[in-house]
Formats: sequence, C-alpha cells, structure tokens
Amino acid sequence: MRFNPKLPREGVNVSDTHPLVEAGTLVVGLTAIFIVIALALVFIIEIALYFVPVEKEAEFFEDWLPEDLVTVSPRDERLQKTQLLVDRLAFHWQDAPYEFRVEIDDAPVANAMALPGGLIIVTEGLLDQVESENELAFVLGHELGHFKNRDHLRALGRGIVLTLFFSVATGSDVSGLSIKVTDLALRGFSREQESEADEFALALVYTHYGHVDEAWRLFQRWDEEDDSLLDVVSYLSTHPAADDRIEELEEQADRERWPVEGPTTALEWRSE
Amino acid sequence: MGRPCESNDMDGNTVESISLFMNFGFPLLLLMLAYFIGSMIERKHFRNIRRREEDNVGFPVVSFDTMPDDWNASESTLVAGSIVVSLDYFKRVIAGLRALVGGRVKTYEPLLDRARREALLRMTEAAREQGYDAVFNVRLETSRLANARGDGKGIAGVEMLAFGTAVKFASRFASRP
Repeated sequence: MRFNPKLPREGVNVSDTHPLVEAGTLVVGLTAIFIVIALALVFIIEIALYFVPVEKEAEFFEDWLPEDLVTVSPRDERLQKTQLLVDRLAFHWQDAPYEFRVEIDDAPVANAMALPGGLIIVTEGLLDQVESENELAFVLGHELGHFKNRDHLRALGRGIVLTLFFSVATGSDVSGLSIKVTDLALRGFSREQESEADEFALALVYTHYGHVDEAWRLFQRWDEEDDSLLDVVSYLSTHPAADDRIEELEEQADRERWPVEGPTTALEWRSE
Repeated sequence: MGRPCESNDMDGNTVESISLFMNFGFPLLLLMLAYFIGSMIERKHFRNIRRREEDNVGFPVVSFDTMPDDWNASESTLVAGSIVVSLDYFKRVIAGLRALVGGRVKTYEPLLDRARREALLRMTEAAREQGYDAVFNVRLETSRLANARGDGKGIAGVEMLAFGTAVKFASRFASRP
C-alpha cells in the first residue's frame, strides 16, 4: 500500500463563520426572543392581578415587614408625623382598601417604596432632604399612587416570574444576563407607571392643600444638583429624569388650573 | 421588590451609573478583552500547527489497528501526545447563548480542532525524536477535567490524548511504505 502524504484539510471541522458574526446573531436574536417573552410575562401578570382582589392582598400581607429593614423607634416623631400625613392623604382616596403603615429605613439614599399590604417605607435620607410637608406629601402621594395602580404587585410579580423563568429555561451562566436584559426591556413600562403615580400624587396633594405649591420642589433641587446625568442612564433608569417629571407635573397643574402658589406647611421636626 | 421611588438624587445617579457599569460595562469589557486575547492566541497557535504539520507531512501516521503487511518492523513502542485546552470567557458566553437555542457551537470548533491537531503533532514528534519511522493504530481520546471548585459543575478544561504504536523499520534503507 502506498503512503500518500497530505496536509490536513482546513475548514472541515471548523465553521468559517466569524466568531463576532456568531456572537452578534445570537445576541440580537435572543434579545428579540427575550423581549417577546418579557411582554408575554407582563401580560400574564396583568391577568393574574385581575384575579387577585386587592382585599385579599391587604389581608394576606397585613403584618408583613421585610426582614432586612432597619427601622427607627416607634416613638420617633418623624415616624408618627409621616404616618399621620399618610393617613390624612389617604382620607382623600375614597374607599382605599389598605390600612397604610409607614416605616422608616435608615438608608442614607433618598428613597421611598410601596410594598404589598399597604406598607410604605421611606428612608432617613429622604426625610433629611424634604424641606416642607408639601414636598413629603407629594412623595407619599406618589407611593399611594403605586398602590392605587397596584404597581407594587406588578414589580413583585415580574421579579419572581422572570427569575423563575430564566433560571429554569437557561443555565446559571446565562440566566443572570437574561434577567438583566429583560429587566432593561421592562424599564419603559416602569417609567410609565412612575408618571401615572406622579399624576395621582399631584391630584392628592391638590385635594389636601388646595394648591400644588412645592409639590415638585424636591425634584427641582435634584435637577439643579444633577449635571453629570448621561442620556443613556436616564433611558435605562426605572424612573423618568427629574426634569421630565417636573415638566409633566407643571403641565398637569396648568391643565387642571390648580394654583401653583399657596401657604406651605413646615415640617415640625425641621424647625427644631 | 416593591417600587423604589425617589432615587434620582446625586447619590442615586452615581450609584446607578456604577451599577450599570458593574452589570453591563464590566462584563462587556471582559468579553472584548477575552475575545482579542483569545483570537490572537488562536491565530498564533494555528500558524504554529500548520508549520509543524508541513514539517511532519512525510511521516506515516495511520489509524489501522493492525500493522500494514509491507511494514517490516523491527522494534515498536507506545507513543502518546496530549494537550489540555481551556475556554476563554468569550467562547464560553457565546456557547452559553448558543445552548439556549441549539445548533453548532461554532466557537468551540476551532478550539477542539487545535487540540486534536496539537495532540497528534506531539505524538508524531515524540515518535520522531525517539527515532521511529511510522505510527499505526492511532487513537484520540478526550476527557473532561473538573475545575478546582470540585462541585462537579464547570469544567477546567478538556484533555485531548493521541496515542499509537510507533515502529522502527528493520532496515533504514528499506523502501518506505
């Protein structure tokens, strides 16, 4: 038998697709698929929300508190005043199904959250930043708006369903990435919800005080401080940018002919 | 969980930018770095493999399990060549994405091609260095190496082993098969 020396042929065992083309195809294709799935999940949650009446939710989460919450003393003046303010605001929301509870978290970043069962958490950072009761009332009204639209359950539901779906559908390596991508795709909805909550809050503030003075002054201060904001960050953000929110609120006040000036109420713990 | 509300202050934005970078920018940077380094090493390795294949092209390496009749062998030994290859971050991520939909894992193919050819070359070179004239009954074997975590998840690399029976021909002047 003759030995016929030959070099191995190239390209038999290796695809000639460029790795970057492969990467691009996969990323674009999968992103499209994930977005479709995300939209389907949002739809499913909307249906599920329809079947969970708000009374059931209020009852189920009645005494619930997040485990990692570091709260202040129940006799803290700020806590009592904030709770009082929430109760007074909620009075204007006819037949609110929740028994609203306020807790203060010791986080330094200004933030407020609406959690299942009518629980509102405000951070100490927020209480340090608000300069009048009217400013605080708007923020609290915004959270009440989330309850009104049941956004708090949407967020919770989306988080759970997305995590479950992707950890089952994909390996551990990719599931984190998939969740992030889908989460980004949903930020648009999230910003829409914030705008709706803002609208509700402003109406509440108007009903309570008879004017909307200082309702968005907190945002104005943030907007002035904020010079480094990149457009991409605001696009990816869960909340609309402060200047957009101010604009929308001004438009709303203008449309409804709500007075933008009036006597504001000082915060008692501030004046001391 | 819940609706985080007013986080648009200075701290919030800085935190957001940092978390954006950590979540998306940093992995992307790693991915790009892994791609450039990985493809540079791969090109270099393929060049090296092709050069050595040309050097060894006249040396008979066959997969018959019995020695061809016209080989007049006087001496034989086992020769082996092995290589351990590992994935770069880029290949692993792209393969992970590919695993979601199925199909040819194209980023792994050049890696395994390199491993096979390198193992065969090492075996061939081992045979030549010891003065043998040909190798028959060549086999390739692959085994996975678990990573140091020892939890059975994740793979540190793949070993490609080529082995065969090297023979010396009875007369150096006998006609080559």
